[in-house]
Amino acid sequence: MRERQRWSWDFALAVATVVLLGALGIQSLVGTLYAWWAYRTQPGWEATGYPAFVSVMNAVAAPLAVALVLVMGLCVPKRLFARRALVGVSVGGIAVGVAVWLLTGSIKDGLGAYLGLSALLQAAVVVLTVVGAGGLSYLTDSAAAKAGSGLLHLGFILFALSVVALQSSPFMLPAFLASALLLTGGSALSFYARRPPVEGSGSST
Amino acid sequence: MPMLTPASIDQEIAALTGALESLGRPLAVLIAACALLVGLAIAVPAFRGRLRAASAALLAALSLGEAVLVWFHVRLGQACVVVEPQSGRVTGGFALPVWIESEKLYALALLIAVIAVAARRHGEELRPLLAGAAAALAIGALIWGRPFAAPLPDFLAQYRGYLAAWASGDAAAAMRAFASIEGSRRYFYNAWYMWVHPPLLFVSYGAFAASFAATLLMIVRRRSSYEQTAYRWARLGYLPLTAGMILGMPWAIVAWKGEAWWWSGKVNMSLMMWALYTAYLHGRLYLRRPGMWKAVAALSVVAFVALVLTYLTTYLVPGVHSVA
Repeated sequence: MRERQRWSWDFALAVATVVLLGALGIQSLVGTLYAWWAYRTQPGWEATGYPAFVSVMNAVAAPLAVALVLVMGLCVPKRLFARRALVGVSVGGIAVGVAVWLLTGSIKDGLGAYLGLSALLQAAVVVLTVVGAGGLSYLTDSAAAKAGSGLLHLGFILFALSVVALQSSPFMLPAFLASALLLTGGSALSFYARRPPVEGSGSST
Repeated sequence: MPMLTPASIDQEIAALTGALESLGRPLAVLIAACALLVGLAIAVPAFRGRLRAASAALLAALSLGEAVLVWFHVRLGQACVVVEPQSGRVTGGFALPVWIESEKLYALALLIAVIAVAARRHGEELRPLLAGAAAALAIGALIWGRPFAAPLPDFLAQYRGYLAAWASGDAAAAMRAFASIEGSRRYFYNAWYMWVHPPLLFVSYGAFAASFAATLLMIVRRRSSYEQTAYRWARLGYLPLTAGMILGMPWAIVAWKGEAWWWSGKVNMSLMMWALYTAYLHGRLYLRRPGMWKAVAALSVVAFVALVLTYLTTYLVPGVHSVA
């Protein structure tokens, strides 16, 4: 029983999220220290060295961002599907993303397709949660926390979609603002549930 | 309406800064005295019972100072109009926020003082840490920020440069200076993002400071109830942090088109801070697992260190967000 609790799906996803966020944090710190050093030691670095620095930072961040998106993709449909079906849906989502990548030759398009699929699934989860459909798996009883969790994850996905696929699109600013609204509203509902979310007393992740 | 000339505008600016300095001198003394009272109430056990009153006095003094700064900003914004040198067309005045340049530390001191006075859950235990921080920030603001003696140095330097170019008679130089100041007016001072993005981040900084104080108490006293307090403040801070950061991005894309802002020092550090607080809130969901509170406490401390570094990055690492 203890072993099952230790390696629960939710816990494993949370650990993976924390590790990936920590890695992103370390990359940011190292990047800042490098920029500080470069500004001090290389006159005119902003004009000569900055573009290369951005390319390296993007290249390092890309696998972390991809992994975060994958974890999010595994996190999102867990409300809708049982464990076995969940793995199938997750693998299916990844397969669609990889297929689009291979067909178009653009990893950006592949990620965009994968995120779009995740966003659709999450939107369905939010609708089902709000109308109170049975069968959704949550660890909390609070209706507000459930809806908040759904909106929060949808906001993250929309934000990632804006960065990955909509950077040169006229829809980027509206998508950014929509993601800000979803994240803010979702955080408010999720974190201000009556009982603070802790495993065993109700979780809103 | 009198004819606007560079000389008449410069005269009005001088009158306003002089008035601010006159009003600010006794205010600075009052704020410093209240900060010392807070320090005394923290350091001397016999005065500990007076800490809340001393914190309230500091808050009142800082609020009075803030009211004077708001008055100054409104009047300065009305006085400093931008005029197109060739046509004489007035494009408008400035909406100068009270949380920029030399006033950042002051705004933070005020915010932490509000939290020190208002904190209810574990308020008595948190107050020495929070009121002490507010007092230190207030002294720091008076020494390094000098909001009353040397207000808005960057804005006034740029605006006076524009006035000098306008008065010089060199049409090309005047138009260049006009383009620069009009860009700052439109995309920085008067942009609606400026009135949303920084204040949201400041509110989050204040809430995270309270969360950090509660985490320190949890680590030192090993009582789980402090963790609840730390979490409550962290969740209060996470909301404006996330919204503020996301709202900053479209602004950066529009206002800094072609400039090096992506992966700049401040952006990097903000991302790191956000990632660490997100990790903290995720880790905290599993608090009841054996030993997990230590990992959560460590994440909370590291996230706050990242917050302090993020703030300092503005002054240490050059870039578009920077004054380094």
